Amino acid sequence: MNRVQNTKLILWFLTGFAAAVALNRYVFGLGVTTNLSDRTPWGFWIGFDVMAGVALAAGGFVTTAIFYIMKREECHPMVKPAVLTAFLGYLAVVAGLLVDLGLPWNIWHMIIYWNPHSPLFEVGWCVMLYTTVLLLEFSPVPLEKFSRYARIRDFLMKFRFPLVLLGIMLSTLHQSSLGTLFLIMRYRLYPLWYSHILPVEFFISAVALGLMMVAFESLASHWLYRREPETHLVAKLCRAAAWVLAIYFVAKMTDITVSGKLGLIFDGKWQSNLFIVEVLVSTIIPAALFFVPKYRGNNKVQWIGSSMVVIGMVLNRIDVGGLAMLDSTASYTPSWMEIAISLGVVSAAVLVFLFAIENFHVWDIRPEDPESLPHTLPSFDYSSRTWLGIPSVASLTKHTLAFVLSFALGMALMSGNRLHAEGIDQITVKPATVVDSLCDTLCINGNRDDQFVEFSHEGHISRIGKDSCRVCHHLSLPGDKLSSCWECHTSMYKEVDFFKHDWHTSASGANLRCDDCHTPGVTRTAQSAKKCTACHPAYKFLADEKNATEKYYIPSYVDAMHKLCVSCHTVEAKKVKDKPNLAQCSTCHRIGTPPELKAGMKWDVTLPHFDNVVLPDVGQAGK
Amino acid sequence: MSKAILTDVTKCIGCLKCVSACKQVHNLEMDVPRIWDRNDGLSAENWTSVIRRPGDHYVRKQCRHCLEPACASVCPVGALHKTEIGAVTYDITKCLGCRYCMMACPFGIPRYDWDKTVPHVEKCILCYDRIKTGQQPACTEACPVGATIFGDRDELLEVAHKRIKENPAKYIDKVWGEHEVGGTSVLYLSDIYLDFLTYPTRPGDKPLPKETAAAMESVPFAFVGMGGAMLGLNWIIRRRMKMDKERGNKKESADE
Repeated sequence: MNRVQNTKLILWFLTGFAAAVALNRYVFGLGVTTNLSDRTPWGFWIGFDVMAGVALAAGGFVTTAIFYIMKREECHPMVKPAVLTAFLGYLAVVAGLLVDLGLPWNIWHMIIYWNPHSPLFEVGWCVMLYTTVLLLEFSPVPLEKFSRYARIRDFLMKFRFPLVLLGIMLSTLHQSSLGTLFLIMRYRLYPLWYSHILPVEFFISAVALGLMMVAFESLASHWLYRREPETHLVAKLCRAAAWVLAIYFVAKMTDITVSGKLGLIFDGKWQSNLFIVEVLVSTIIPAALFFVPKYRGNNKVQWIGSSMVVIGMVLNRIDVGGLAMLDSTASYTPSWMEIAISLGVVSAAVLVFLFAIENFHVWDIRPEDPESLPHTLPSFDYSSRTWLGIPSVASLTKHTLAFVLSFALGMALMSGNRLHAEGIDQITVKPATVVDSLCDTLCINGNRDDQFVEFSHEGHISRIGKDSCRVCHHLSLPGDKLSSCWECHTSMYKEVDFFKHDWHTSASGANLRCDDCHTPGVTRTAQSAKKCTACHPAYKFLADEKNATEKYYIPSYVDAMHKLCVSCHTVEAKKVKDKPNLAQCSTCHRIGTPPELKAGMKWDVTLPHFDNVVLPDVGQAGK
Repeated sequence: MSKAILTDVTKCIGCLKCVSACKQVHNLEMDVPRIWDRNDGLSAENWTSVIRRPGDHYVRKQCRHCLEPACASVCPVGALHKTEIGAVTYDITKCLGCRYCMMACPFGIPRYDWDKTVPHVEKCILCYDRIKTGQQPACTEACPVGATIFGDRDELLEVAHKRIKENPAKYIDKVWGEHEVGGTSVLYLSDIYLDFLTYPTRPGDKPLPKETAAAMESVPFAFVGMGGAMLGLNWIIRRRMKMDKERGNKKESADE
């Protein structure tokens, strides 16, 4: 089969997969899609899509600088593809951001709400402006096809030089400002990567990466369309990149030496090893290769060297953007959905790139894709007597199929709700031994944290009813013998309603239809619904005064944990003359009780949940 | 007149009344144990928490309301804002969800509604609506033992130093928040070291926005400088090419 067609098939497949995941992200939110957390608010998307994406698109400004500013005419074949790559790269960055931002529909807010102190504000503006500049720089190429837009094209061609200049100036700013983003995280970023000259390092490495990305893209697209590689031109890029990489390496090492971090490189920690690998792959090896004229003229070495720089510099951006954070890495690995989105965004950009070079005058000689040419594909198969469709559309059916299949696969792989997928183990129960009189009281490991609380089994049965064991036991959760306290006492501090609407309607719960509880034809509210007692006669309810409905109030978690102890103490305290104020937490949960007072206490009890609780001395008054 | 909160760790009994009051005043939703909990008790629904430390120590954690907050300085749309009264407030209508504030905060305070489709940043706002009208924050009002108190920052600093002076054996001679990251509006007195409230690498006394200030100030110079350098380079190269061409022409004419 055709090399181009196969590549496109894979790209369409990845794009379809990402589309399914993106749908999931917008419907269910970031928490379900990503492994991001409060510890690691920035993850793979920032490191790869944004940081590496912008750096990979640096080829645009580097090439235009070489061609228009330095007047190296021989670079002409590289300019259009490089500008196109940059433009698509920036679009991919914006697409990645639209997935990563919590409120993507507010992305335009940077235009009206200004905070010039923020490096991100500056990056945002530069990216906005530079994407526009790139669009204007590239649009003469597709406009060439349509003669009625010739005037617009001529107009744009006139402003080519100022546009290029503006593009270079904007790129300088935001390529370096991406480094400025991390200057404020000195306490967060590993010292080997943190540096006061991070913006400068980012800029220099972006220039090197830009050169190498243009080389890589030239090698890859020429391989794809089976054209003669531009070996001579790529060799020139490699020579320039070797010098820039050398400057980068010297700047980086000088900074590390001056700030006294040299020892950190060889201390054997995983971060240090990561740093060594990164610098070797991104800088030392490719620079060493490309300084030798014999090697940089060799097509294979060009392949190896340029892909090393691309991989190494992407790794560098990912390191700075999250991997080398001190506090975070232990708990974060990107979820497969995050990686799927990133791959999909890149694939979509490559597909647009291939479309552009096949349809517009990006290269001096437009490539010919054998299968996309109408005459090579028959529209009618005479052997089976079937109509195969219009050739240009028929060749697309495979791609559509790949897209749809992978979209379906993505949807199938998405778990319903990861939030509830955390397994819960069995609760340990033992009889309460401290107070004999409370014979129905159990000590249960209610929260699965090995801290036992007193639990009145009889009390719960009298409220919920004798036949309602399953309210706590076997709450429809596979492998769950007992539900945790917090599954009913859901709020830590607030009284909550027991009724779970979602559970009653879900297929895995009570599986009720709306009309099973709500009167048909009437607006569905709590009032128009059946009373809970219609199905659960044993429940004891409290009336909700506001809404004149019955509600089952569940005490807050804290109240539930304290009730048993405090109520008993209230009874006991009636017999005591100087009543301790049990409504005050501080009466029991106080600190710094003198040991002599502790020694005289009758109840030498350490409460299960708070091991340093000191009970008030009620012994002296006698029973 | 900057307001502040002073929390005396030696007085706190860990009753969580402050947490309860905070949740009621701000109408925060219930907590469900989640994988993204940072284990310091703070979450999108818990703007303050009490951390239990070995021995009888309870340390209340909340937004420190830095005098020069990193979060407000990095927010690209200025959704976070240090008010004159001392509170760092959050404007949900501006936020675009980049979570840079969460990355920049040296105390790891801002939390995110990870499970929501329309998520916001959640953090203590020093009960801005209450203190504007002369009330005190819900947490300090609820504290039964006066472990956490509200007042003018200067006065609270005096109170703190007075307490240390009167009882030097009880306290560590340091008011947390007096100088850290340029000073914060939430101060701590303690008999244990409170370094666990920040990252392992200490932020130090320099205000964090200063770290980026130099780089941000040089932005216009870099912009104009790069433009100038490119124009200059272009001019030199063009001139050289022109001269080469002329020389070539002359040579040619000489040859003729």
